[in-house]
Order: sequence, then C-alpha cells, then structure tokens
Amino acid sequence: MSARDDEIRRVVAELDAHMAAVEASVAALKAILADDEASIGEEDLS
Amino acid sequence: MRALADVTGETLRSWRESKGWDVPRMARELRKAARDTGEDVAAHHGLVKMIPQWERGGRAPRERYRLLYLKVFEDMAGGLSQSMAAGADLVMRFAEIRSHAASLPAPDEIRTLEAAALAKPRKTMTPAEIRARAAEAIIHLREVAAKIAELSALLGDDAVGEAES
Repeated sequence: MSARDDEIRRVVAELDAHMAAVEASVAALKAILADDEASIGEEDLS
Repeated sequence: MRALADVTGETLRSWRESKGWDVPRMARELRKAARDTGEDVAAHHGLVKMIPQWERGGRAPRERYRLLYLKVFEDMAGGLSQSMAAGADLVMRFAEIRSHAASLPAPDEIRTLEAAALAKPRKTMTPAEIRARAAEAIIHLREVAAKIAELSALLGDDAVGEAES
C-alpha cells in the first residue's frame, strides 16, 4: 500500500462524509416542508 | 495505478515487437480491446501517430490506453495485473463519486429550499436553525467540489475523462 493510495483513500472517505452531510442537511430542510404540509393537511381536516 | 504509469515506452515497444505486430496492427488491437469494453478511443490514424510517440517516451499514454495495453498484453503484464485491477477500481470509484456528487443539489437549489422552509409555518426548527442547516449544506457542497479536484489531481488528469485525439 503506497502513501499515494493512502492519500486517495483519505480523500475518498472525506468526500463521502461531505456528500453525506449535504444530503443530511437537505433532507432535514425537505422534512420541514413535508412536516408542515402534513400538519396543514391535518388542520384542514379538523 | 502507479505501476501502470511506470511501464516505459521501451516496454510498450518490446511487448508489441514480441508479438510481431507493426504499429498499425497495434492500433487495431487497442481499438479491438476498446470495443470489447465499450470504451471510446482515438481513431485508427490517431493511434498510429500516438503509438510511436508513446514508445519513444515522448509522451505517456493516458490511463485508458495504459489499461488497454495491459488488457492486450495481459499475459506479459504478469505482476502488473493486480495493479491494473486496482487502477480500474479506482477509476470506477471516482466515476461513482462524480456521479453521486452531480446528483447533489446546487447551492441555489439549497437556497430555494431554505427560502421555502422559512416561508412556511414550522414546528420543528427555528428560522436560525433552518439558515444554519442551509449554510452547512453549502459549505459541505464546496468541500465536495474541492475534494473532487484534489482526487482528480491525485489520480491524474486521465481520470477526468478528457478525449485524446
């Protein structure tokens, strides 16, 4: 295993972590919209 | 992949000559190997020009051509085959990462999402938390772009997929 391979693996792991963080934040924002739409729907029903 | 880069022009020439192939035949063999794997490569006349340049060491073949050489001369590449597989795996992994990154929303899409979330009545998050979430997503998105550039540099410009003609 060369130092270059280690470096590539490190960058790939960091990339995966950053992509997961983007997806988590975006999912959280979308969840707010979904929750609010659901709660508005519930209010309409009541 | 480093081992692939370490194959010299002299080695490429000796592999070709050991088969008794002239340069046009070598070009045909590379194109045939490319067809088998569905790869795009230079036209025959382009390869006929490039092969002598590679063999003289004037310029190094790009990643896709090095992989094709090793495919054509798999028996002679011997110990290099593991490096070839590892190199191909890395290129595939890089392609997956780029595809995954391309599927992420752009900063303006995140801003639009943020605006929509702020404009709606909400119970689960304060406006400050929504802004922080959006800002965090954009910061990580920039890191993704930076890391892809870093990875591209580590793998060499061949992995970027530029066409050689």
